[in-house]
Amino acid sequence: MNMENILAIALAVLLSPILGGVVAGLDRKITARLQGRYGPPILQPFYDVLKLIGKEKMIVNQWQILCAYVYLMAAVLTVVLMALQSDLLLIFFVLAVGGVFLVIGALAAPSPYSQIGAQRELIQMLTYEPLLILVFVSIYLVTGSYKISEILKFPEPLLIPLALMYIVLGYALTIKLRKSPFDISTSHHAHQEIVKGVLTEYSGPYLAIIEIAHWYETVFVLGICALFWHTNIPIMVALVTLTYLAEIVVDNICARLTWRWMLRHVWSAGLLLSFANYTWIYVR
Amino acid sequence: MLDVLIGLCILLPALSALLCYLARSSRARARIVIATGVVLAASSLALYSRGSFSYTPDSILGLKVNLLITAADFALLFIIFGIGWSRRSPLIMLLTVLQILPLAYFEFKMVHHVEVTPAFYGDDLAIIMNLIICIVGSLICIFGLPYMEEHEHHLHLKKSKQPRFFFFLMLFLGAMNGLVFANNLLWVYFFWELTTLCSFMLISHDGTDIAIKNGSRALWMNMLGGVAFVSAIILLYRNTGNTEFLSLQYLVQRHDLSIGVLLPLALLCLAGFTKAAQVPFQSWLCGAMVAPTPVSALLHSSTMVKAGVYLIVRLAPAYAGTNLSIMVATFGAFTFLTTSMLAVNMRNGKKILAYSTIANLGLIVACAGINTPAAIVAAILLIIFHAISKGLLFLCVGTIEQKIGSRDIEDMRGLYNRFPTVTRISIFGMLTMMAPPFGALMSKWMAIEAASHIPWVVAMIALGSGLTMLFWARWVGLLVSGAHLGPPEEEGDESSLKALTETLAHGFYSRKTRWKESLAIKVPLLTLAAAAMALSLSAPWAYGRLMEQRVALAGNLPFTGVALGATGDAGSFYVLPIVIVSFLGYSFAVLSALKKGHRVISAPYMCGEQSLDLKTPRFRGPLNLWTDYTAANIYASEFIGETKITSWINIAALVILILLFAVAAQ
Repeated sequence: MNMENILAIALAVLLSPILGGVVAGLDRKITARLQGRYGPPILQPFYDVLKLIGKEKMIVNQWQILCAYVYLMAAVLTVVLMALQSDLLLIFFVLAVGGVFLVIGALAAPSPYSQIGAQRELIQMLTYEPLLILVFVSIYLVTGSYKISEILKFPEPLLIPLALMYIVLGYALTIKLRKSPFDISTSHHAHQEIVKGVLTEYSGPYLAIIEIAHWYETVFVLGICALFWHTNIPIMVALVTLTYLAEIVVDNICARLTWRWMLRHVWSAGLLLSFANYTWIYVR
Repeated sequence: MLDVLIGLCILLPALSALLCYLARSSRARARIVIATGVVLAASSLALYSRGSFSYTPDSILGLKVNLLITAADFALLFIIFGIGWSRRSPLIMLLTVLQILPLAYFEFKMVHHVEVTPAFYGDDLAIIMNLIICIVGSLICIFGLPYMEEHEHHLHLKKSKQPRFFFFLMLFLGAMNGLVFANNLLWVYFFWELTTLCSFMLISHDGTDIAIKNGSRALWMNMLGGVAFVSAIILLYRNTGNTEFLSLQYLVQRHDLSIGVLLPLALLCLAGFTKAAQVPFQSWLCGAMVAPTPVSALLHSSTMVKAGVYLIVRLAPAYAGTNLSIMVATFGAFTFLTTSMLAVNMRNGKKILAYSTIANLGLIVACAGINTPAAIVAAILLIIFHAISKGLLFLCVGTIEQKIGSRDIEDMRGLYNRFPTVTRISIFGMLTMMAPPFGALMSKWMAIEAASHIPWVVAMIALGSGLTMLFWARWVGLLVSGAHLGPPEEEGDESSLKALTETLAHGFYSRKTRWKESLAIKVPLLTLAAAAMALSLSAPWAYGRLMEQRVALAGNLPFTGVALGATGDAGSFYVLPIVIVSFLGYSFAVLSALKKGHRVISAPYMCGEQSLDLKTPRFRGPLNLWTDYTAANIYASEFIGETKITSWINIAALVILILLFAVAAQ
């Protein structure tokens, strides 16, 4: 544990929610403009969370509190591990446990809406988790390591040998960020027939915890994208910005879909692209 | 000293089995079982502290051990033939004859005298297996004491069948210990068949039609493995003309890749696949759950199926660097993926556990096939963690089943409110199967890292891993689902540390409802839970120690792909902080959940006027009536219905097996 690591941890813990919140604010603003609205101020997510924290604590089941906190801890830990340039698969498993606890919390509340939301969230996790592993494996195949510290030493931007994997990552991230059409487990709108699904029974400070955890996750997602062009900072920033803008556009032009379609389409597309890219790696 | 310890491990269970059979009262039987368990655990720990060994017994009571085993071997086969005869099962009789005749030809015609030294050999793998069998196995047997009383009480038996039950339970432990220590393949074969017989007797114990049918299926499938085993022994001798090849250690260290050795190795792997219930042989293990819970727990965690993977992991260095190895990896990964898929489709709790066992065994087989030092270490760690967690989970589900009279996970909704302690232990067991920092997940991580250079294997493991996560998370969620039933805020100031320990011991707000259960049920459950926790904490060191030996060996063995898994460089280094941080994280979350403070307990949202009774969430529906709601899991039967896809899975698995043999015979 040297000074550098402590600094990295501190930055990850303190700066990520700010960055994540601003991204969420920008997201809402741009989405509003795309829909011909004026939109809330950029800092609106922070106001929302502050307001939520001040509300009365209301729960249906004791386990919800535990689950909200584990979800937050897992999200913080993924970002911290990323800042420490740790092992990608390890980061993945920590991320997964957060998702699992979010589902457990939703299942704990005996409300039909949160129950259905939880089932859908499980299917979403089932859809993106294998793809994320395949992306990390492809990074390993190119760079020879799962450790971010080793990956950053690779001389060439990863996007060039792993162009197809970036699309696979795009699928996984759209699901992870719960952007339409993959917002079936919890949506801001009614187009998935259930609004808020998995989050139905979370309110007040506990919803705030989940919101903050989601900011951390956003930062994690952006960090993974950044890994694909680590050689040049301006291009890296451009890549990440473009990717997120693309996510917003996709979010706004897509309608609803069912989990069956999602599972079938995303797995087959993801596997095909992955194997095509793996072959390309071996041929190169 | 060594001879006494090995003798205790192998012969004491057999002796206790006999005593259990003769004992009249259940009290005497309980004493025998508990005493045997304690002695076995102690002797396995003593063996562990001694480290690796090799030992050759001279004679028992003036008789040559070799001769004894040969005689017992034929006796055993004739007993099984008799069973086939009495069951009118031509298949079992045929498979037995296919073993008796070749074995007789081999023993009396081809070779007259097979002397293998050392007769017993214990390295880290064997000693770890011995620890699992003696400790986890004994705990399950002890759990069986009150369980079987209750079980027979339900069945209203006139005459207790418990003497027979504990006879085979104890004998099983002895046979397993013999199997892991034996170095002579013929001896391994004897113990192998002995476990087959014991498992058959235990599965068909209840004597119902379905029990007998499933027992017979288990018998013929495992006899198929036996035939493969005998053929492997004979081929090994015929192709090499050397009895030395019948020594496991020689076979492994020699690393001879000629066709003469590869084909027998493939046959031995096939024997391992049948015993480890890999697809297409999975149906015998799924059928085995008709047996009383201690049997399922024993079969799944510490014995039987572990014998299958033990043999495959044991032989791994012998086929390292061949295409056979890659085929074994493919086969294991395929089993992992397909049985995880089937587990998602199940609503029977015991069947979920069964498919999850097969999946984990598949992962172990895949690790053996990947065959790098890191992969082998991952396989050994998986064997350990799976034995403990799965033993624990079976005991939990068995206890729950006796309480609620159902195995359906939909009936387990909100069990946390009714039986907090058992449910909490079950949840803990499930978390040890899927969440960091517990060993099972860490081993899976190592497996993925090790598999990275075989794309299709890693893809199958990745998909399977997602499916595993799904069914565990869902089950945990169901257990805690329900209204908040805790008493309102009670006695005021209590230190948070005390609150944490209280919660770990008794659960949220359950301080007033104590855990009423026989001590013989409590002790195994708590010991296994504690062991799962402690071993996960010590995993980094265990990893380091196992790895050191493997890397030292790797110098003279050609491994496929990278010599070391990616974790090799710093695996144990950065796992430790994760273990600490995760435990801190979980404790923080538990403490926050327990913190006293103002909280409103509300009814769940129902999108309408809702009942004020928090226990039964209802809303005012049409005609002004109170309406309940129901929710159920997605089982995706239209995609992955068990009856729908099992035959396809079996066909695909057969194709992989045929390819495996084609590769071996090349």
